[in-house]
Amino acid sequence: MLDKIRNFSIIAHIDHGKSTLADRILEFTNTISKRAMKAQVLDNMDIERERGITIKAQAVRIEYNGYILNLIDTPGHVDFSYEVSRSLAACEGALLIIDATQGIEAQTLANSYLAMQNNLTIIPVINKIDLPNAEVDKVLEEIKNVFGYTKEEVILTSAKEGIGIKEVLDAIIARVPPPKGNKDASLQALIFDSHFDVYRGVVSYIRIVNGSIKIGTKIRMMGTGSDYELLEVGTLCLGLFKKDTLSAGEVGYMIAGVKNVRECRVGDTVTEAKNPAKEALAGYKPIKPMVYCGIYPVNSGDFEHLQDSFDKLQLNDAALFYEKETSTALGFGFRCGFLGLLHLEIIQERLEREYNLDLIATAPNVIYQINFRNKKPIFIDNPADFPNPSDIESIEEPFCKLTIFTPSEYVGPLMGITTDKRGQFKGMEYLDPTRVMLSYEIPLSELISEYHDQMKSVSRGYASMDYELIGYKVSDLVKMDILLNSEPVDALSTIVHRDKAHYVGKRLAEKLKEVIPKHQFTIPIQASIGSKIIARETISALRKDVLAKCYGGDVTRKRKLLEKQKEGKKRMKHIGSVDVPQEAFMAVLKLSE
Amino acid sequence: MLHPSPFSSLPIPSIYIHIPFCKQKCNYCDFVSYARKEDLIDDYVEALIKDISSQFSNLYFPLSTIYFGGGTPTLLKPKHFEKILKALESRKLKADSRAQEVSIEANPGTVSLEFLKKLHNIGINRLSLGAQSFNDKYLKYLGRIHNSKQIYQAFENAKEAGFENINLDLIFAIPGQTLEEWKEDLAEALSLKPEHLSTYNLQIEEGTPLWGNTKSEILNPKQIPISKSKIINEDLDANMYELTIETLTSVGFKHYEISNFAKPGFECQHNINYWKMGNWLGIGAGAHSHVNGKHWENTSNVEEYIGSGGVRRNGCRLAPDVSHDLPAGRQGATDQRETLFMGLRLLDGINKAHFIGFEKEIVELKQQGLLEESGDNIRLTKKGLFLGNLVFEKFV
Repeated sequence: MLDKIRNFSIIAHIDHGKSTLADRILEFTNTISKRAMKAQVLDNMDIERERGITIKAQAVRIEYNGYILNLIDTPGHVDFSYEVSRSLAACEGALLIIDATQGIEAQTLANSYLAMQNNLTIIPVINKIDLPNAEVDKVLEEIKNVFGYTKEEVILTSAKEGIGIKEVLDAIIARVPPPKGNKDASLQALIFDSHFDVYRGVVSYIRIVNGSIKIGTKIRMMGTGSDYELLEVGTLCLGLFKKDTLSAGEVGYMIAGVKNVRECRVGDTVTEAKNPAKEALAGYKPIKPMVYCGIYPVNSGDFEHLQDSFDKLQLNDAALFYEKETSTALGFGFRCGFLGLLHLEIIQERLEREYNLDLIATAPNVIYQINFRNKKPIFIDNPADFPNPSDIESIEEPFCKLTIFTPSEYVGPLMGITTDKRGQFKGMEYLDPTRVMLSYEIPLSELISEYHDQMKSVSRGYASMDYELIGYKVSDLVKMDILLNSEPVDALSTIVHRDKAHYVGKRLAEKLKEVIPKHQFTIPIQASIGSKIIARETISALRKDVLAKCYGGDVTRKRKLLEKQKEGKKRMKHIGSVDVPQEAFMAVLKLSE
Repeated sequence: MLHPSPFSSLPIPSIYIHIPFCKQKCNYCDFVSYARKEDLIDDYVEALIKDISSQFSNLYFPLSTIYFGGGTPTLLKPKHFEKILKALESRKLKADSRAQEVSIEANPGTVSLEFLKKLHNIGINRLSLGAQSFNDKYLKYLGRIHNSKQIYQAFENAKEAGFENINLDLIFAIPGQTLEEWKEDLAEALSLKPEHLSTYNLQIEEGTPLWGNTKSEILNPKQIPISKSKIINEDLDANMYELTIETLTSVGFKHYEISNFAKPGFECQHNINYWKMGNWLGIGAGAHSHVNGKHWENTSNVEEYIGSGGVRRNGCRLAPDVSHDLPAGRQGATDQRETLFMGLRLLDGINKAHFIGFEKEIVELKQQGLLEESGDNIRLTKKGLFLGNLVFEKFV
């Protein structure tokens, strides 16, 4: 039985065609009919399909030539690498997709390292070979230089044209080892994902490593120690398909009446309560949010609605962290932790779109470690909590190892922007005569402020990047405050490197002047470090705002204009007597524009 | 007796007639008007007359103002106006009520002495000349078909034709314009001794050639070569407005509405009826009506308007009835809100009685120095004139 099962993932740099290849595999194996096929069936959140990216991992069971192939899809974006790692833990093999027109990119490498760490068999695939600018030979050469795979081991495909799909499936059967495991041993099942169903509670996606489960089994979550009775098990095939049992080597789902995703932790091991396994499976590193920001309702009356919305979103997103906080300027809201900026944007967009909330998000920041002269260090995730500078011995901030892949002609400008962002050069390697890999150490705080956009812009979109956290290092940091109308606005405080404080203060004051509308009174904007003002701008008083023309009796039109103006103001946050638009809180991220 | 008529309607004192034809669209214009459709004029006038007939069968019109707006109404021939006015005359109920004010908008590039004489003879007694500027540089920028010389000529012709109530429309805050240049425009206008002046700051509307160039990057076939840096800032706009008020009031003009100035007794009665939210009927493609608290708008498609025989049965769509958005019991409050934000445009303001339910807003706006009391009226302060939208938005 086990030797007829293959569990595999598809890993790739973003846009290299992972989801399209998955679609073709489903079609080719008649898992889904062509007619029922929506492009990228595995991306089932609206936002995923609109942005063309995969956020949540998905699993699907495929029957082919007497084999059962379990495909576990993975996200391609660096923010979601934890999703990749947990999907990979449930597999024995991975298809590594490389775009024939792009070659190896930063996340190609990062994801393949993850696969190697999980001891997966990797099948390299060059995709998009039908494109006129495909450079198959060059990419084959790169694959050989970087990973050591020979030409014969690489499969050439065009997912769009359906070329090479059979070869891929045959290679999965031939090369990916069948799962090991003993179906008579004590139950060990790995939870690799979960989603929340309003009617059935948490649906956990599991890979059975040893033993078997069936309906009625009393199970125990080894991490949390809580017991449940299994209500339903089955396989995943673009929907849930009930089965009586699942046993070692299989991938499927279970429902055990768990009401909360947190009690059913992804990465936890499920065992049988009566006959527990001796030890849990190696899970994965718990997910730690790296980027924090405040999220506040524009209308304070929406606070509870926001809380409910977070609770619901978290049912599906174990990486989302949030806790109540209060800001003098913004009132009641939440301090939220995210995996990265994309994760932040997606959550904000979902809150606004699916839960119909008007939100203010403050500029994202990292977690700082503050060392004191005579007491224990603390970690702060909000610049507003910055302690009195005279008590501080030193401040540490998270650093990353940054890897950039780029055509060689952009090395100069990339080095320029990376050095500006306090990056320390660590090395440069040629993949082939025209492609270079640059390594840097860089503060995470710099990476999350415009770095990705700048990197794309100076390389005309050709460079790609990946980063991993390497630990905390001491930096000379200061807290910069912003005063609007002479009142400090805690939500606009930011932590910056001392050498950059003047530049950031000046640009931030200028940006705020641009985005905050004129009022009936003059509004001074000041940037300060401690009591020292380092930059100042003034928004002059609004002198004229009146519709001049009466459009031949078109009162409705006039009314609409006034309504629009009024609506615009409603979406702003009233801080003291100043109306501040959402953009103001993000201005610190857009200083170079 | 509520109405001096057998009809179940409030009186409608004003009629607006829209003429949606132009030789060439101006670069800032987003009104309902079309270039190169002049061959439809005869059919259009027929449709107007049918429209008038169908309206007049069930409404009561003690007409006191008629207004021909556009577009460029002066693209029509005198015989067209004659026909339309006759249609209106024949249906008027009171024999002695020859409308007191019959206005026409005129493009200075389209009016000969002979033409104006004919208009005057058939009873049109107020001429509104779209001068816009006396500076040829800006006339060109705005896409006007006339130059400054033609304005003087048109004005002279109008006087000679017998018009004794002439308005000049002027536009300020044109990209690149200086305060000095606007001052010259005002001086030129005053040298003609008009009875009325309307001054508007240039609004750059989406979809117009000016917008394509100044506000977005979308390529527009008629892009105007003016750089972003020349867009008038609100400060200069305010200075120009202030200069306008000072200049015109110092020579005997009454500043009676935000953008309008008149010699005593020459205030535009037709527009005052709009601002007071009286009843008016709009005839023609794209025309708006307001009767007994209801708004509607005719189709803006000329061919459709003609095809429907001028009857607004299928061609018109009712303006969304905003009162539906209000909670039950507040319906009808819509008109109060409109009365407030339209009426406050008049410098005399409006009677306190209209403000019931807005006491909180009034206190706040008074504190901000935007509104003040004057006798039984509440009106905009000088500061409020400049910041009218901040006041009006409280009432929408």
